[in-house]
Amino acid sequence: MIVKTKKILINSELECASGEALENFELMTDFYGELNKKKDNAVLVCHAFSGSHHAAGKRDGNIGWWDEFIGPDKTIDTNRFYVVSVNNLGSCFGSSGPLSKDKNGERFNNNFPQLEVIDWVESQKMLADKLGIKKWHLVIGGSLGGMQSLQWAVSYPKMVKKVGILAAAAKTSSQNIALNEVEREVIRKDSDFHDGKYLEFNKSPVKGLKAARMLGHITYLSAKNMDQRFGRKLQNTDSKIAEDIDFEIENYLQYKGGKFAESFDANSYILLTKVMDKFDIAHGYDDSLESALENIRAEVLVVSFTSDWMFPTSNGKEICLASIKANKKCSYIELEGEHGHDSFLYPNEDYQNAIKNFIESR
Amino acid sequence: MKSDFKRIIEKWIPQNTKVLDLGCGDGDLLEHLKDSKNVNGFGIEIDISKANECLRRNIPVMQCDIDEGIKDFDDLDFDIAIMANSIQCLKNPNLALQNILNISNKCIVTLPNFAHWSCRLDLFFGKMPVTKNLPVPWYETKNIHLCTIKDFEELCNNLDLHVIEKLYLNNNFKESTLTKLLPNLLAAEGVYLIERK
Repeated sequence: MIVKTKKILINSELECASGEALENFELMTDFYGELNKKKDNAVLVCHAFSGSHHAAGKRDGNIGWWDEFIGPDKTIDTNRFYVVSVNNLGSCFGSSGPLSKDKNGERFNNNFPQLEVIDWVESQKMLADKLGIKKWHLVIGGSLGGMQSLQWAVSYPKMVKKVGILAAAAKTSSQNIALNEVEREVIRKDSDFHDGKYLEFNKSPVKGLKAARMLGHITYLSAKNMDQRFGRKLQNTDSKIAEDIDFEIENYLQYKGGKFAESFDANSYILLTKVMDKFDIAHGYDDSLESALENIRAEVLVVSFTSDWMFPTSNGKEICLASIKANKKCSYIELEGEHGHDSFLYPNEDYQNAIKNFIESR
Repeated sequence: MKSDFKRIIEKWIPQNTKVLDLGCGDGDLLEHLKDSKNVNGFGIEIDISKANECLRRNIPVMQCDIDEGIKDFDDLDFDIAIMANSIQCLKNPNLALQNILNISNKCIVTLPNFAHWSCRLDLFFGKMPVTKNLPVPWYETKNIHLCTIKDFEELCNNLDLHVIEKLYLNNNFKESTLTKLLPNLLAAEGVYLIERK
């Protein structure tokens, strides 16, 4: 498989939904496979909240977040398709975000424009133009990436042939927003946060970021999955991360949270959770989902997991039913998924067949 | 699905209509109707591998239980619904029929006749029927509300439904003088096109 990673400069202004603008911006992008002569085999893969452009292959000891799905003869077969995977604006893996510098050479920190999902779509539309891609064969993603895929199909109906919306919703729920606010509050209350200017003090609110991620991580798993994996097992003393840990699950969350806090930026965390909170595809359409989906020309596949309590199956069904009402071609697949919300990341034969059949059908 | 059966259903489906297939299996009927009648089809199928087959054929499908599914469908609008050999698997066939006719102008129902002589014979010898169109033993069958041709027509009458067309078929999916003469005894399958009065 041909793999390329490029930081691509888009030298035009991006006017954000908030009214703020970015004079220019960079998008860290992975490419897997080859664009054919007709340029009609391009697939845009959209990562979830804390993901990155690194979707497939092993790099610096890390395996891409959808490695089992992207590659030769895999679910998205790179012998046929040209996969483009972009690190979203506002994130912290190479694309423009709070860590980059503004036109005056100052680091944005907490002053990066507050983005919305639609801004990501706009930024990627500019990227597609630059790459000469007039129509995606498929735009697909899970969670926040699924919302982004849906936004693509609504915003640029002529540019999307098929759209895959995995473990996602047409809008975030009050509970989603509430949990995100707790996560943000934990970061803000870290004494090293310095109102988001922590880098100026050579600090980072790692304690807050870690705790926020620990809470977030719980919402990505299911109760059943946690019981099966950890149950009430006690942590053995040798590998305890902290003194007062009793159970394995505590140690696991401490470990995962700590790892995450080392590699993620707190301002990005706050910004990206806000992006999620603001998402409501029916906003601007009199809150009618059916009207919002009216524009879509793409064939739609919605997949939900019964073990997902972040975006429960009712969210997926709602998108499918509204699509059918709007006379769109939409399919809905419901799987148990063993991993709660995170199920969309894990290989499963039925799940992968659904995606593969959808992508490859004539 | 048997091709004779498909041909029968096809006759009742007008061109360019919006069709809902409840229990659509691998989507072969909808694919056939797409090719022959240019219908805009949508299927419901509980079995994931069959639903995945629909995706492969590019037939839109909702993978869910019919009972659960139609509850959420209240404001959808179809020209014709097809319920081929699935009414006897539903929790509340009477409510389901009414719900289906809320979202679809017409409905095609096909059902195995539990009063067919072969079933009667099995029961006479004290056994649950295992026949050509009811091949699964009682402990494995999904059929929880089996009925006879007489029962179904009585239900339509009670629910104030109009039977536009009906066919009484033998085991070879053919209507014969015999099946017409004594449908409840000699027809293996009843096929109906119904609507609200």
